[in-house]
Parts: sequence; C-alpha cells; structure tokens
Amino acid sequence: MSTPSQTKSETADSGLARVRDLWNDYLPYWFMAPMVLVMMTITFFPGAYDLYLSLISEPTMNVFAADFVGLQHYETAFTSGGAAHSFVITITVVASALLLETVLGFGLAALVAGVDAGRMKSFYRVLFILPMAVAPVSLATIGRIMLNSQIGVIPYVIETWTPLASPGFLSEVPLLTVILLDTWNWTPFMFIIFYAGLSSVPDTLVEASRVDGAPLWRRYVHVIIPYMKPVVFVATLIRLIDLFRTFGVVYGLTQGGPGTATQLVSINIYEQMFINNQTGVAAAIAIVYLVMVIALANIVIAKVGFEGVWD
Amino acid sequence: MATPDVEPGASQRLDKETRERLVTVVRHTILLAWSFVVLFPLYWLASMSLKPPGTANSLPPDWVFLPTFYNYIQLVQSSEFVTAFANSLLMVGVSVVLVLLIGVPAAYVLSRYDIPMERDVLVWILSSRMLPPIAVVLPFFLIFRALNLFDSRIGMVLMYVSINLSLVVWVMKAFFDGIPETLEEAARVDGATRFQGFRKVVLPAAKPGIFSVAIISFIFAWIELLFGLVLTSFKAVPVTLFVYSFIGSRSIEWGMLAAASTAMILPIAIFLIAVNKYLAAGLSFGVVIKE
Repeated sequence: MSTPSQTKSETADSGLARVRDLWNDYLPYWFMAPMVLVMMTITFFPGAYDLYLSLISEPTMNVFAADFVGLQHYETAFTSGGAAHSFVITITVVASALLLETVLGFGLAALVAGVDAGRMKSFYRVLFILPMAVAPVSLATIGRIMLNSQIGVIPYVIETWTPLASPGFLSEVPLLTVILLDTWNWTPFMFIIFYAGLSSVPDTLVEASRVDGAPLWRRYVHVIIPYMKPVVFVATLIRLIDLFRTFGVVYGLTQGGPGTATQLVSINIYEQMFINNQTGVAAAIAIVYLVMVIALANIVIAKVGFEGVWD
Repeated sequence: MATPDVEPGASQRLDKETRERLVTVVRHTILLAWSFVVLFPLYWLASMSLKPPGTANSLPPDWVFLPTFYNYIQLVQSSEFVTAFANSLLMVGVSVVLVLLIGVPAAYVLSRYDIPMERDVLVWILSSRMLPPIAVVLPFFLIFRALNLFDSRIGMVLMYVSINLSLVVWVMKAFFDGIPETLEEAARVDGATRFQGFRKVVLPAAKPGIFSVAIISFIFAWIELLFGLVLTSFKAVPVTLFVYSFIGSRSIEWGMLAAASTAMILPIAIFLIAVNKYLAAGLSFGVVIKE
C-alpha cells in the first residue's frame, strides 16, 4: 500500500542515509583532505616555483616558452647581488638575538617563578608578555621615535643625564639597534614558554635536591635545566625559525640601510624583486635561503629529536 | 652563661633570614627594572599619541602635558584608515574562521586515528612554518596576478590561512590528545555517529584550546606586513600597511604615526592578556603542555 509520495520520501531517506554513512565511514579522509590540500599548495608549490624562476631568464607563465639560463642568477646573486653580505647580516642578527632572548627569557622566568606573593607573580607574568603585542610596524615606529638622533628621547636622556655621548642608533649602530629591538619584542616569547616549563618541574624533584643541600645554581644546572631540556629545545627551535622571517621591523626602521648595513636576506630578496625587477636573482637567493633554513631546522630536529616532547 | 651550641645556630638562622630577604630585594629590583624596560617604550608611544599637535617631538620632552585625543580623531576621520582597519578586521576574521574549519578536524584525526607516517606528517606541517614568507610571497605574487587575485581580499585571506594552519593543527592535536577517548566512545554506545561524537562531545571539551588558538592566529595575521605590502595596492590594503605609510614619507606626522601604532597594539594587548593562561601552549605549537 505504498503511495508514490511515500516511496519518494523513502528513497530520499535512504539517499540521505547513504550520504550520511559515506560521511561517517570516511570521516578521517574528509577531515584531512582540506588540510592536506592547503599544505601541498603552500609547501611544495612556492619552492618549486622559486626554483623554476631562478633558472629562467624572464618570468613567464608558459612553461614551454621559458628560456633556461642555468645557474646564471645564482652567480649574479653572489657576485653583484649582495647575497653573501645579506646572509652574514642575517646570521649575525639571528644568532645574537636568539642568544640574548634565551638567556634573558630564562633568567626572567626563573626570577618570576621564585616570587612568593601570588599577586605580584601574576602581575609580572602579564606585564612581561606585553611587548609581544607590538606589531613589527609599531615597533619600527617606536624605534624611529625614541632613537631618532634629533627628536629621540633615549639619545636625549643619554646626552643630558649622563656624561656619555649617545651613539647614532640608526646611523652608526643600526645592526645592534635591530638586535636590541627584536630582543625587546620577543624575549616575552621565551619568557612565557620557559615560565610554563618551570612551573611543570615536579616539586618533589626540586625538594629532593634542596634537602640534599644543593646550592641554588647546582639545583638549576643538575635538576631543573636537564628536566626542561625539551621545553628549551622547542622554544629555541621555533624562535630560530621565526627569526629568519624577520622583515617588517627592519623594513620600517631602516629599509636595510644605511647603505646595506641592515640588509637581511628577506630585505635583499624584496629589493631584488620589487625595486630592481630582478625576479630571477630574487628567486635564486630565495632558494638558497629556503634550503638553508629548512636544512638547519631539520638538523636541529634530528640532533635533539622530539623525544620527550610528544608521545 | 652563653650556651656555645645554641649561639652559632641562632646566628646562622638569622643569617639565612637576612640572606633570604636580600635575595627577595635583589629579585624585585631586577624584575622592576625589566618592568620599566617593558613599559617605558609603550608609555612613550601612547603619550606621544596623546600630545597636542606640534609638541609631540619637542626636546626636551614635555614630561607633563594635557592629553588630547586630537590625533585619534584625525585618524578616525580619515576614510583611508577606517577602510584599512575594516579591511583587516574582515580579512583576518574570515581567515581565522577558515583556518579553524580546516585545521581543527585534521588535528582531531591526527590525534585519534592511526595515520601512516604520522610523525612525518607532523614534521611536514611544521615545515610550512620554516618557509620564510619572503620566499613564499614571490611565487604567489606572480600567480595572484595571473589569476586576478592580486589586490583582492580573497587572496589575502588565503595567505593568512597559510600563515596559521600549521599552528592550529599542532596546538589542537595536543589539546585533543589531552581529552580522554572514553568520552566519545560513551557517546558512540548511546547511538551517536562518529561525526556527532566529534561535534557534540569532543569540540565542546576542546573549547578553551580553540578559543586561544583562534586569538593567536588572529594576532599573527593582524600584524603581518609583507603579504599586504606585496600582494595589495589599493582595494585590499591591511591596516599594517596604512601605519607603515606614515613612515618613510618626506614629512612624518609623528603624532598621527604614534596614534595609529598605539591603535594597533591596544586590541592585541587585550587579547594576549585574555589568553595568557594558554599562551605558552599556543606559541610553542602545543608541545609544552605535555607533562
């Protein structure tokens, strides 16, 4: 006794049910697919396209019309393109800032963790993360306003309140200025992660070494720091990777100058591409940069491993 | 009649107390000094934005002044600033929704199912963070021009998604790992489908993680300069670029520059303080909360 309308709704039902089953049975695939798609696009594509651009004379969408020139752009990059210089500058900034931020971040985290009063503790904790809220453009603004040799408050204070002569931060020691600004901006990152790491050190471990009569520095060197090794490793690795991304603050502060004093690799690539119109040279430097950063990160991962960091 | 074995003990205890007090004093001196280092530039920027026009950069500085909102009013009245601000809000907001829709389900699968070569997949995802944006932006610039995505909001949304996807997957995987699997199994026994188990049981439990990772993604996209600089020219200009346009021009309006920069910092600062409890997990891709 099935009326047509009933049959229709039944097939619709079973159709819907089939879709639902398909959805539930293959759930992991549906859930993973978009992520994999986006990841493929953003990881494989730019590298491959950079490589292609670095080997052809003029950028063209037509693969068959491309005029391959071999390693010519690489040669140009390292002879007249300033690539070698910009790599040295970048490594200097990355290494100095990483060292400063790690030491400062750990020191501050240890000091705050030892504060007895809970309210003071959370006051410091919240206050110390604030510089991270400062975007690169705003940081460049702060640097330009406070360090300017005509209107800057810091040179003014140094000149009038101390017997010292103020250096021209942006003209005479621009690289040091960049390093210090980055340290101000990103020490909070190290601080907050080390602080979380320190609070996860089991009390019993620390207590045991205290009972043994170990002095404070020994407790750190032999108990706390070894326990925190994975945390220190992750924080340093991520900061290392991010330091290689530095662009905005230097672009806003000095645009790579004066001369090429602060010409990071990222600034150099930008100038080659968008000011000199040297797409091939820019792509060649980008490829060397990519290979270097990924190799470095993988060496660190392989050397220290993620053991103890994830299951 | 001094008892020789009590006397040294007492003085030692006294010494210890003094020493502890000394440690406390030194500790707070250092911490207050760093507080000053943190606060002074922020104070200086904010105070500069509140100074009346013409006095913003006078030396010796006006340590005491009557604050005025002149610069901010100028800023809000500038239609370019309002457009850029709205642009950023829209593009960044949509990108955060998208990145969560793509990243959270994938993280759930990585946490719950046996994925072949799971470790390699996770390292691959992390590796997208290793690509310096300047190397990525160059191919996208040429492709975007070919596909008519140059200076479009859709293009910028895609770039913002690419910045944050790895972060969302890693952090959310760590969060899902911390939610007991028995929860969904119980729901399954009660007749819920896999998807219902995910939507009605697991997602609500992971809410704090989703909330904080959303805010951190918002911040990373919000402060991004390079993509805006290269991939937009007029229509899709983000607010970072607008702030930047004050710098480098021949006559810099310091007060306006300070006001725009402060306006960019304030919302992020509020966000950061709101999620400061989960900040470490978010910034370190979730690996720190493992115990």
